Formats: sequence, structure tokens, C-alpha cells
Amino acid sequence: MRRALLALTLLFFAAPASAEKLVSTVSNANVLITSSFDGASLSLFGNIEPDTIDGAASGPYNVIVVVTGPLQDRVTRHKSNSFGIWTNTDQVNFHHFPSFYAVVASGKLDVIATPELLAEQSIRAEDQARLAAQSAGLKAERFGLELVRLMAAENHFTLREDGVNFLSDTAYSVNIALPSDVANGPFLVHTLVLKNKELVAERSEGFAVRKAGFENFVFVASRQQPLLYGLVCVVLALGTGWLAGVAFRR
Amino acid sequence: MQIYLPIAELSMNLFFLIGIGGAVGFLSGLFGVGGGFLLTPLLIFSGVPAPVAVASVTGQVAAASTSGALSYYRRGGIDLHLALYLILSSTIGAMIGVATFSWLRSAGQLDLFISVSYLLLLGFVGTLMMIEAVRTLMRRRAGVITRDKLPGQHTWMHALPMRIRFKKSRLYISVLPVLAIGVFIGWVGALLGIGGGFILVPALVYLLRVPGNVVIGTSLLQVVAMMCVTMVLQALTSQSVDIILAFCLMLGGTVGAQFGASAGKYLRGDQLRALLALLVLAVAIRFGLTLVLPPSDPFSMALIAGGLK
Repeated sequence: MRRALLALTLLFFAAPASAEKLVSTVSNANVLITSSFDGASLSLFGNIEPDTIDGAASGPYNVIVVVTGPLQDRVTRHKSNSFGIWTNTDQVNFHHFPSFYAVVASGKLDVIATPELLAEQSIRAEDQARLAAQSAGLKAERFGLELVRLMAAENHFTLREDGVNFLSDTAYSVNIALPSDVANGPFLVHTLVLKNKELVAERSEGFAVRKAGFENFVFVASRQQPLLYGLVCVVLALGTGWLAGVAFRR
Repeated sequence: MQIYLPIAELSMNLFFLIGIGGAVGFLSGLFGVGGGFLLTPLLIFSGVPAPVAVASVTGQVAAASTSGALSYYRRGGIDLHLALYLILSSTIGAMIGVATFSWLRSAGQLDLFISVSYLLLLGFVGTLMMIEAVRTLMRRRAGVITRDKLPGQHTWMHALPMRIRFKKSRLYISVLPVLAIGVFIGWVGALLGIGGGFILVPALVYLLRVPGNVVIGTSLLQVVAMMCVTMVLQALTSQSVDIILAFCLMLGGTVGAQFGASAGKYLRGDQLRALLALLVLAVAIRFGLTLVLPPSDPFSMALIAGGLK
């Protein structure tokens, strides 16, 4: 009874806010890595539609797209000088931290969304670091900021606040560039549609980055037949060396 | 032209890989060292993850040393008997080294240990070689005729039991120092991801008094065997041998080693040793500077091993 009441209340409050729904698609469901792979670029297309048949979707809308790569465990270390030698003296571990994180928005984040919404959805990369940090307090905060900076320097973390290309009032497209050393695995694309700084519709979808053909064969072999793989490497090394020796024999 | 490395999971320029493989191969052919102590830091600096660099360089070193060893073998520059003893003992050393490696990693002090031991080892060996080479060069300039090998000099090592005759090296010495050197080279090699040629060559020359004409060939053969063992061990344990990366490096390395081996014929033994000493010292100073100079960025990040499977 109470649950039904709660649902009814939620419906009452939520219904006017979510008069829109979002349809979107990613250009490639699979990004295949072959021998000449040098990064990839894919597109996300979406359209904001009215939720009911007779309703109308009226903007202006803002869109935030968050692309999250496979999760990894990372460590951020800090060097300091002790007795004249620079060594790593402090570190913070980050568990299940995204290997790739791209935020593409149609405007400045703090202009198009409320701070509460940004925090609740953990949209900023710093929030991801805070969630993944294995220690608390100022130290974790500082190391988290440094980790985000280091990831951004390697093009694994990006923030583009003018990256959403509106084709009409309700239709948009977004380009996402993956670096050449992108991690393999599942990627999550989370799209938020905002109106008057409030969330009106959202949608999640995904794509996968994986090796294809020979690259995949090599990787699988090294994991499933490590002894055979090692022996093949040895034969290859000795064979190449021998061949060069023969070729240069005069 | 970019090529994707499936184990390192990144793409690199093919010609860059062949180029550094060739340059290091030339030096390895010239001096009879594997060149791992140059190539591994170079690759890490270029963005290859450290475990992949350490494991894959073994392939390049094995290949470059194979072609080098073959050309020395044809010239009769290998003491097979001595090499056999070194190979067997260094295999045991490599297994101890792999165990030490994982122990240090769990203790969390691997990075510092590797930097400091590179510095100490390269600095010590480089300085010794430099002093010796300069002394020989000066004596030669002064007109005193010295021979490359130092025959008949008996050290305390020659008094040890279990003496064996190594015909090719014209040595009749105890087998114990030979085995000890082999175990140490294997241990250090597996620990630091190097072939150990730059330690083995001076050890054979100064400790065992192996004559100059068989030192480099014997050392190269030992490096080949040592690297093959390490490669299989790495493929089994860390699974970070990148066969594509190794092959690109090999292509350049084997060709470079041929040119290095022919260039080596035009240089005298003491000149070669002085050059190698300079090279070793340069790398040692490079490691020393990273320890002493303030880093450009005090923060660094790394993947936690095992996090990416």
C-alpha cells in the first residue's frame, strides 16, 4: 500500500518533468583493432522527442554526453626529496577508475546544469577520482586531481564544453575520438538531456573496443597457451638472428 | 607508418621501432653486449608499459645476439665448453631472479631497487672498465708493449678445487668461480631485464682471464641462451611478451648487429673496452641524474599490475 502510494506520488511529481524522451545511437557498436589501428573516431546521434503523442518537445535543450571506458586499478605516486634522492614517497590507489573518460556538453557545465545535478551524476572527472580513491581526505582529493591531469595529458580524459553539434532544436550529433592506446573492453555512453538546468531525459548505451583478426589471435594465444607462445617467440628470435647471419655471410 | 602492438595495447611507428632496434643492435654486435640495458629504458621512455618493455626486449636481444654469436662462431671465437657451464648456472640464477622480482614487487620497493642497482652496477662496472682501458691506452702510448690477455696471472681463484681445463680459452681453473659468475649474471638479468653481457664481458676478462679473442663470442652465446630462458619465463608468468614489438625490434637489431660485428674488427680490444665503458657510464649517469635532479613532474601514475587482464 505504502509502496503504491509512493509510486503514485513519484508519478505525480515526475510526470510533468519527463515530458521528453531521448532516442540515440552510436555509429559503431564495435570498434575493431587491426594492425594499422591508430585511434578511432565515432559519432553519436540523438533526437529529443515528446514522451506522449500529442505533446511537443520544446527547448531550449542542453545535452551532456559522458563516455566511460573500461575500469582499471591505478596508482598515483608523488616523488619527494629525501637525503638528496628523489623517490616515490607517497601514493594513493584508485580502484575501478575509468581508463577513458570523455565529457562532451553543449555549454559550460556549471551554466547548463545545477551543481547538485553534476555532483549527483558524478559527471566531472574529479568526481570519478573521488569515487575511486582508496583513501579519504585532502590527500586523496589532491592525488585525484593530479591523476585526472595526468590522464588528460595522455588524451584519455577530455572535457569539451562546446562539442555537441545541434542539427535542429532537438537533434544533435557528437564526435568521440579514441586514442591509439585506448583500453580494450566495454565503453558506456551516458547521455543527459537538460532543460532549465534540470534533467528531463537520459539514456545509456554502449560500444566495445576489441582486437580483431591476427591481433586478437596473438593476444588470446599469449593468455591461453603461454608456454607455446613463449616458445614461438624463442624460435622467432633465433630464426631471425640466424637468417640475418646467413644473409650477411660473405 | 603505425603498427598496433597487441600485448602493449598501443600503436607505435614501425620505422621508429626498427630504427632503435638497429642502433642498439649495432652496439651489441660491436661490444658483444645484449643491449638490453639501453633498449629497455628507451622503450619505457617512448611510452611502452614497463613490464611489456622488459619482457619484449629479451626477444630483440636474443635475435641480435644470435646473429652476432654466429659470426663469432664462424671465426672460432666461442668457447663452447665454458659457455655450457655459464648457461647452466645462469638458468638457475634466472629462476632465483624471477622469485626475487615478485618478492620485491610485493614489498613495494621494486622501482627504487631497480634504479639504484642500475646506478651502482653500471657505475661500478663502467668505472672499473674505464680505469683499465685508460691505463692500457696510456701504456701503449708510452711504448710499453702489453698483450691483450694477461696469461699466467694467478689469483686466489686459481687455488680453488674442482679444476677444469677449458681448451679454447687456454685456461685450467676451478669451476666454482665460473658457476658463481653464471648464477649472478642470471639473477641480475632476470631482475633488471638485461642480458648481462656488459657484466659478463669484464667478469670473464678480469676474473677468469679469458683471452680476448673468445670473450665476446662466448658472452654472446651465453646471452642468447639466457634471453631465451627469460623469454619463456616471462611469457609464463607476466604474459607481457609482445611478439609484434619484439619482431620489429629484431628486424632492426639483427641487421645492426651484423654491421656492429664487422665494425668491431677495425678496433683494438682496449679501444672497444674504453668505448663500452663510456657507454655504460653514460647510462649510469643518466640513472643517477633521475635520482638526484628534481623531476619535471613530481606526480606520476601507473597501472596496478594485474589490474588489466
